[in-house]
Amino acid sequence: MRDVAIAGVGLHPWGKFPNKSWVQMGAEVAVEAVADAGLQWIDIQAMVAGSMQWGGSTGMRAGNTLAAALGETGIPIANINNACASGGSVLRSAWLMIAAGIHDVVLAIGTDKSPKGFFPSVPILSEEPDEPVDMLRWYLGLPNPGYWALEMKKRMATHGSTEEHLAKVKVKNSRHGSLNPYARYRKTFTIEEVLASPMVCDPLRLYEICATSDGAASVLLTSVDYAKRSSIPMVKLAACSLSSGQFGDPTMRIPLLSAVSDERATAPLLSESKIAAEMAYTQSGLGPEDIDFVELPDNSSWHELQYLETMGFCEPGESEKLLDDGVTSLGGDLPVCPSGGFSSFGEATMAQGLLQVVEATWQLRGTAGDRQVEGAQIAMTEVYGAQANNSACILTT
Amino acid sequence: MSKDTSTTTNRHIIADAFVTSSGKAQLIGSRCSRCETYTFPKSFTCPNPVCDGSDIATAELSHKGRLASFTIIHYPPPPPYVAPDPFEPFAIGAVSFAEGIQIIGPMTDCDPWDLTMGMEIETVVEPYYTTRDGVSVIGWKFRPVSEERE
Repeated sequence: MRDVAIAGVGLHPWGKFPNKSWVQMGAEVAVEAVADAGLQWIDIQAMVAGSMQWGGSTGMRAGNTLAAALGETGIPIANINNACASGGSVLRSAWLMIAAGIHDVVLAIGTDKSPKGFFPSVPILSEEPDEPVDMLRWYLGLPNPGYWALEMKKRMATHGSTEEHLAKVKVKNSRHGSLNPYARYRKTFTIEEVLASPMVCDPLRLYEICATSDGAASVLLTSVDYAKRSSIPMVKLAACSLSSGQFGDPTMRIPLLSAVSDERATAPLLSESKIAAEMAYTQSGLGPEDIDFVELPDNSSWHELQYLETMGFCEPGESEKLLDDGVTSLGGDLPVCPSGGFSSFGEATMAQGLLQVVEATWQLRGTAGDRQVEGAQIAMTEVYGAQANNSACILTT
Repeated sequence: MSKDTSTTTNRHIIADAFVTSSGKAQLIGSRCSRCETYTFPKSFTCPNPVCDGSDIATAELSHKGRLASFTIIHYPPPPPYVAPDPFEPFAIGAVSFAEGIQIIGPMTDCDPWDLTMGMEIETVVEPYYTTRDGVSVIGWKFRPVSEERE
């Protein structure tokens, strides 16, 4: 296995861009990453792109669409969809190509425009004998945040978490996001303002659930030897894991109708997330104690509370204390989502896993501006996708 | 065009997911005869990775269970959910059954704000909505066990 470097990154501001196509957004971040690395488009030896379901059939082949726009060179192009964890899965594939010694320069890219409101189900063949499970939960009326609310209710009953804790996550991430010019939402909120926002899926309120956004991000990977030609400070992608769920996990998973009962569980809650984190620790030879800051998937405030313990940063039920004590704020011992997180960006499912890695790269280069984590040398990211998809990365200087 | 306004026809919200033959509603899943894993909706395979059982039989779940969790949905979900007009917030519960499985379903016959974790729940079959051509779509719901009803 060869060591892998992040040679260039590109990020489009996130928001709603009705007058700009996802192709243009993707092309811009592709060009940006290549220029950031001091390379040319024709230097790219392979591309892995998020397969964007909302873009129809050309969106599902986004990599080929972007190559047609920027110049076809005959390179291998793979299009991958692993739900909201697609960005992590895309990066993992690119990472493997370099680590395995197959290619020296690989572009990982995600560009996405999202429908407004709750993510709907994607149309399927009408002739199938069985209805797909994704339809069934909509007959019952359970949107994605409803699944997260079910888990949060359990957390409140088990650990005594409160609605104030949920609000505090948003307050913290809004402060971080206010410092990030790429974020969609840059307003800071007080606990009172968050608690006054409309209830969506009790106990989760509007400001505690990430929005659905348009966004694009790209990461250009090279071998470390190749990157040594560049003058940019070296950032290494020391680990890039990918995981799926484990039988016996009591998480009520989007879009399923059942799970093993908590009493009979033989695997941890969010088993895929725990496995992804552990795999990244194993790959890098590092542990939670080595991490200087984290970009985790704050799809909702529940996620941030749960992921801190799932990723091994504290014992079950201790996340709330880390939040209360300011440990996870910028300036604390373990800043969480210094970018502002999905709370400030919103989800753009093909790109959000890459967004985290772009932010971590800038932080490790020391170019994150007002939101810079002082002295950061080791970063961890993790992204969560529906139907038990997960990917975690560890970046080092 | 003639319209069939008969309401005697009904359709199950999800096929083969529940029965009322015993007089009390029960969800139908499947059970692996080797490792005793229950699945819902019913499956033709055993999802246990260390089990090579191939005898997967239809299995009725207990009529009653415990409320493992719940959420109140405050905005109308998108289609194919059919929202009543006007829309009222409604609760969806995750009910844990003795068979070792928790299953989601809409809560009924209760004030969503009176639900409590762990309360005893029973399965019922009720209409979800009526289609434009008069077909009543029925499915499972959960309601708190009430001594008054017993």
